[in-house]
Amino acid sequence: MSKLFVDLTIAFRNLVQHRRRSLFLGAAIAAVTALLVLLNGLSTGVRETMIDTATTLSTGHVNVGGFYKVTAGQAAPVVTDYKKVLAVVQKTVPEMAFAVHRGRGWAKLVSDTGSMQAGITGIDIRSEPKFSSVLQLESGKLDDLAQPGTILLFDNQAEKLGVKVGDALTVSAPTTRGTNNTIDVRIVAIAHSLGLLSTWNCFIPIESLRALYQINQESTGVIQIMLDRKDFDHIPAIAARLRQALDQAGYRIMEPDPRAFWMKFQSVSREDWTGQKLDITNWEDEISFMTWTLKALEGMSVVLIVILVAIIIIGIMNTMWIAIRERTREIGTLRAIGMHRREVLWMFLLESLMLGLLATIVGVLAGAAIAAGLNAAHVPVPTGLQFFLMSPHLHMSVHGSLMVRSVVFITVITGLAAFYPSLKAARLRPVVAMSHFG
Amino acid sequence: MKAIVSVREAVKNYTLGNVVVPALRGVTLDVVEGDFLAIAGPSGSGKTTLLNLIGCVDTPTSGSVEVAGKDTRRLSERELTDLRLHTIGFIFQSFNLVSVLTVSQNIELPLLLQRKLTGPERAQRVSALLERVGLREYGTHRPSELSGGQRQRVAIARALVTRPQLVLADEPTANLDSVTGAHILDLMRELNRTEKTTFIFSTHDQSVMAHANAVVRLADGKLVDRVTPAQAAAENGLPA
Ligand SMILES: Nc1ncnc2c1ncn2[C@@H]1O[C@H](COP(=O)(O)OP(=O)(O)O)[C@@H](O)[C@H]1O
Ligand SMILES: [Mg+2]
Repeated sequence: MSKLFVDLTIAFRNLVQHRRRSLFLGAAIAAVTALLVLLNGLSTGVRETMIDTATTLSTGHVNVGGFYKVTAGQAAPVVTDYKKVLAVVQKTVPEMAFAVHRGRGWAKLVSDTGSMQAGITGIDIRSEPKFSSVLQLESGKLDDLAQPGTILLFDNQAEKLGVKVGDALTVSAPTTRGTNNTIDVRIVAIAHSLGLLSTWNCFIPIESLRALYQINQESTGVIQIMLDRKDFDHIPAIAARLRQALDQAGYRIMEPDPRAFWMKFQSVSREDWTGQKLDITNWEDEISFMTWTLKALEGMSVVLIVILVAIIIIGIMNTMWIAIRERTREIGTLRAIGMHRREVLWMFLLESLMLGLLATIVGVLAGAAIAAGLNAAHVPVPTGLQFFLMSPHLHMSVHGSLMVRSVVFITVITGLAAFYPSLKAARLRPVVAMSHFG
Repeated sequence: MKAIVSVREAVKNYTLGNVVVPALRGVTLDVVEGDFLAIAGPSGSGKTTLLNLIGCVDTPTSGSVEVAGKDTRRLSERELTDLRLHTIGFIFQSFNLVSVLTVSQNIELPLLLQRKLTGPERAQRVSALLERVGLREYGTHRPSELSGGQRQRVAIARALVTRPQLVLADEPTANLDSVTGAHILDLMRELNRTEKTTFIFSTHDQSVMAHANAVVRLADGKLVDRVTPAQAAAENGLPA
């Protein structure tokens, strides 16, 4: 029997001795831990859905976009001679999964019964490896988007315009030269809405986009670099590397600006330069206008967790004060027979940490089980919320790392809450062992 | 013979709010090694206070207390704890066992705090002492399963397991019936003889004093005299 074993025995048996109190406090700790896991799982789920959707619909993990200005006051979201840029990109980011290029624009969609403004993206559907996996088609065929003069809409747009697959639309936009141009397109596919991003986005073949804006074959809107999950943490480093390499290759690079490209027109137009400048951004920059929803969700979670943790802390401290009062004579006795203060401190801390650890493990497992259950149940998200969650179903993402972090976090909180009462216990004078009361 | 305890003009005042309660008013006392000394006196005379000073769980307001050659005033909290751990054994009036530990674990605890002996050495000491106090079969019991007399025997075993030079017992029989109390005193006396351990115990019970080598009498925080048990008994009109 070692000292640690006795410490553990004392801690465990005291918890068992005061079964009701331990269970009550443990259940509270477990509940808060489970809630922490669920809230985090929800945020992570939304974030992952958001990244997945956004990186398919409107941004790469890292982008090389930019503006071309014929005159100082006229900015077009165009990268000229893009194949050369792509060559530099491929050489500089060998670890990338793949890169695609897309045309960018903002145009008016006109149908027989309605019209609306929307972002239009020019894509080459045959060179888009992931596109089809994110979109859920309501009607039509994605492959048809390979033919020029076609368009893919989302159901909310189709509804607003009062159109269906096979109908014609007119797309109207100002060209780089400042005059208006229109093209006629045929609707070949309508996809289920993916929330916020799909209200502002539709897709046409890149040749059609070039025709609309009267730009040449060698121009595109943006090169989107897709990375493997393992490289997500290196996104800032990769962006910096690209910036340097393109600079050395002789390109003019814009200052880092964490906004979506379409928010930069005004400021770029006000700047006094002409010709081409490249802009290197990451996915967060491009969807910064909508990550506030995520921030709001996380903020609310934090507030809730802080309140609950505060309650837990009060609960732990209260329980400790009661326990210490009850065990005053025992503490005095142990001090009298030669237990040092830090050993008393450790004894009480250990008891709390043990309760905390057991409770948080139970809580994390319960949280993960509830999350798995909710995922499996395909709980539908109210339409209003779908807009922000970007998914028709509630999706919680509980990773192992989240579970471990939750256990550690709440257990550490437990230890911290127990520290002051334990310190007080350790500072009790050994004479209290002799008192014949209490 | 060498003094293991040397108390000089010890004064102890307690303050209750702004009232000063004098508990000891200048006590001087020497205890030699191997002694079996009773501290007698009526309730409130200062017995517990004196034992607390000797046991290094409290320090005098003025005067000095030396234990095993060490002046307790000069020791830090840590050093006092070490002195208690290695030199002194305690037997409490209310037994004060750790309720969640078994009898064996209670007895072993001071050895674990000392961190000097190996597992097998500790186990050997514990079982020898269990045998000695007549609780061989009770090692795995919890204190709550034992009678008062048995619990006090566990406490004696715990006090002796480190082979301390000095064992202090504050009214060790106050919570026991007289027959059990006499057994406990006999056991202490026997250990005093065989192990040469110095015992100091307090009591206000005449029959308990009878076991001692000598009786130090306290009254009102002052040491009255030092007599033999027979004298103490005679003055109280009781047979020794
Ligand atoms: N913690 C304390 N606070 C205040 N007064 C105390 C305290 N402990 C003891 N006393 C007082 O000191 C005196 C001696 O007490 P004590 O040493 O316990 O005597 P005894 O053990 O002989 O009964 C008594 O008057 C008692 O009321
Ligand atoms: Mg007393």
